[in-house]
Amino acid sequence: MAVRSDAVYPATWKSGRVASWLVTLDHKRIGIMYICTALVFFCGGGIAALLMRAQLATPNETLLTKNSYNEVMTFHGTTMIFLVVVPILAGFANFLVPLMIGARDMAFPRLNAFSYWMFLLGGIVLYGAWFASGGAPRAGWWSYPPLSENQFSPGHGQDYWILALHILTISSLTGAINFLVTIINMRARGMTWMRMPLFIWAIITYSVLLVVALPALSAGLTMLLLDRRGLTHFFLPAQGGSQVLYQHVFWFFGHPEVYIMVLPVFGMISEILPVFSRKPIFGYKAIAFSTLAIAFFSLLVWAHHMFTTGLPVGLDSFFMISSMVIAVPTGIKIFNWIATMWRGNLIFDTPLLWAVGFIALFTMGGLSGIFLAAFPIDWQVNDTYYVVAHFHYVLFGGSMFGVFGGLYYWWPKMFGRLLDERLGKWHFWLTLVGFNLTFLPQHMLGLLGMPRRIYTYSHGGLWETYNLISTIGSGIMLIGMLVFAANIYRTQILRLGKRAPNDPWVGDTLEWYTTSPPPPENFDTVPYVTSARPLRDLRRHLAEET
Amino acid sequence: MPVRVRRKLAFAVVVVLTVLATAGIAAAANGGFTPEFAHSPNAHRINTAYWIVLVFTSVIFVIVEGALVVFIWKYRRRGRPRTAEGSQVHGNTRLEVIWTVIPVVILAVIGIVVFYELPGISNAPAAANPIRITVEGHQFYWQFDYPNGSRSINDLHVPVDQVVLLTVKSYDVVHSWWIPQLGGKIQAIPGRTNHTWFKADRAGTYYGQCAEFCGLYHEAMRARVIASTDADYRTYVSSTAASELGRAEFQGACATCHGMQGQGGYGPNLAHDPLLIQPSGLANIVRNGGVKMPPVGDSWTKAQMTALLQYAKSQIYKGASTSGG
Repeated sequence: MAVRSDAVYPATWKSGRVASWLVTLDHKRIGIMYICTALVFFCGGGIAALLMRAQLATPNETLLTKNSYNEVMTFHGTTMIFLVVVPILAGFANFLVPLMIGARDMAFPRLNAFSYWMFLLGGIVLYGAWFASGGAPRAGWWSYPPLSENQFSPGHGQDYWILALHILTISSLTGAINFLVTIINMRARGMTWMRMPLFIWAIITYSVLLVVALPALSAGLTMLLLDRRGLTHFFLPAQGGSQVLYQHVFWFFGHPEVYIMVLPVFGMISEILPVFSRKPIFGYKAIAFSTLAIAFFSLLVWAHHMFTTGLPVGLDSFFMISSMVIAVPTGIKIFNWIATMWRGNLIFDTPLLWAVGFIALFTMGGLSGIFLAAFPIDWQVNDTYYVVAHFHYVLFGGSMFGVFGGLYYWWPKMFGRLLDERLGKWHFWLTLVGFNLTFLPQHMLGLLGMPRRIYTYSHGGLWETYNLISTIGSGIMLIGMLVFAANIYRTQILRLGKRAPNDPWVGDTLEWYTTSPPPPENFDTVPYVTSARPLRDLRRHLAEET
Repeated sequence: MPVRVRRKLAFAVVVVLTVLATAGIAAAANGGFTPEFAHSPNAHRINTAYWIVLVFTSVIFVIVEGALVVFIWKYRRRGRPRTAEGSQVHGNTRLEVIWTVIPVVILAVIGIVVFYELPGISNAPAAANPIRITVEGHQFYWQFDYPNGSRSINDLHVPVDQVVLLTVKSYDVVHSWWIPQLGGKIQAIPGRTNHTWFKADRAGTYYGQCAEFCGLYHEAMRARVIASTDADYRTYVSSTAASELGRAEFQGACATCHGMQGQGGYGPNLAHDPLLIQPSGLANIVRNGGVKMPPVGDSWTKAQMTALLQYAKSQIYKGASTSGG
């Protein structure tokens, strides 16, 4: 049993309302801080997105300047990936992993707090970049050299960007190691690998991916920084460097990153669907192993981001095949999820709405991915709005829909109150309609030849129509998000949310065994785990006894 | 059938028909449901591959989303108690094998289609006298080098129905060459030489723009391919190109920031800048760039500098002004 240092050296200031959060080592509080911070950053990234959509609503628009458009674009991408989706999932993992495996806390609580504070620091540094000499970074979230080199991006904005990402990388890496050690060592008695909740399978896989892929990003960023501030020329072709090297290094990290952002959400869906279908998950092993398969293949597909780089056809072919192979385990998951609903008792509370929305939209994102994997087709649609549509179906329609489902599902466990169902449904439907209005026409824009990352366009006709629809859609999504904010306000600030019992959804996993919210060390006792659904076992056991 | 159900059914049918009709009209007018109409064999083959993939993915889409909708409808709660359990099925190996194998087969078919179409896309057809042109991406214009040594900016002139082999380069940042109707993209990467080709099947103008984010004026980096008869093409490269070069250089490379009349914009006003008429000073800043100015003319020949100087002198320069620009 871990001895807490604050028990040895009691300090009263640490028990203050604010101070207790600042010094907390409790995984639940750290998880909540992760989630809340990420939601704040989500507002920033969302405002950036709305600004871009406003700028693109009509041809030859000059709402933003060219410079600020590029800054906002860079900020949006960097924020949503590094400050929203990845950390909010880390927040869920922090909150849920010890609860789901029946542990008191994470293996290394201090390292855990360190991860969170590094995340916050990284975010602050990225925001600091807005005040850098020479302006905010504007070479995009992928920051290809030579554009991101000193010659083309003078000033310190780009350096702040590199520093922010370095800090965030450290945060994610320490977090990932912590999850791995915790899951491998601290599971409840009886919880064998095949009895772990599928969310835990997803987190262990996500952690391995982080450990493998993030160092590539760190290396690439370090080389870029040395090019800029040292005297090296890793990526400067005029001095013998290689631009394509950066593309390889960046995407070796960048593609697994996509799965880092979506695997934990797969895990959430695999938790939510069975509970609201009143059924076990269909094909537990298939879902667990397909997670591993996706992670493995995700390390072998990076150059499908580079089909227009002019790689040899043999290499393009390899990366096409490996990318298509990923569709198989992903398909297995989708079919298994749908089969989970088969002959169920579907309870359409808000979490299930988001989960079903996730399946519908992620399928769309997966299918458009097949076009992109077929590299000759990619030569046409690469770097157009088709790609923008594709990955928003994956990362917003996929990841963020799953995250919202997860928030509605686990909110009562986190805060002890249920979010309002009526507002939750408004939130869902507005977001669903707004999302499709925003991103469906972007497929068409891409096929009509609209490249990504352009500040404006002079084409009328369909370009204008689709862009306008897209901007209107983003406005509807904004209303959806405001409803969500109102829901949080009503539930938590006005304290009008219904008080949650231990197990409001009649769940299957151990987090529902303790109180809502759980006490500092989570459990008094943990039942011996006899299957992947320990709480259902317990309920049946109790029913038999009475 | 009760009236309510019949009404619902009628409503559903109307909705479906409207959607189909809209989609049909949009598809017929190529409202963005396929890549743009192809006017080069490689683009044609890409479109064919696209259509085949579209058929497969549409079938999968309908099956998956259809199953989802049907299950939502059929297995919804309908007043059952919350705790009522559904059928406790843990899986079905045969089913799971089926939905693993079928996607493998479909993907294999798609792969075969791609490899079947591939040679016609990536390899230019054999031609006795292909036209070899070098394309250079620059911040923020395209420069074309013709076989006879003449150059043009942003407008690429080619003969119709002839194979054009492009060598794609860059000297500053990464750009991406793309004329949608004439085939796929290829990046222009500093320190690397890439190749692509097209064969325009009809006379006319084809539009495209840089597809890889290249900085401030990325959006302004537009290109046109003007396909004409062989005779027109020959006239263009032998005389017209040279006579238009100065104007094309100014409008393509300088006007983006300094305005069409040199009146200033993102960059300073040039109309009264004496540097504009000093041959060495102008060549120096064009070749090496300035504080914020990219080295737009880092690959320009002496003839190009002269052409620019002459155009600037005769058309842009309005005399030194003490009041400043």
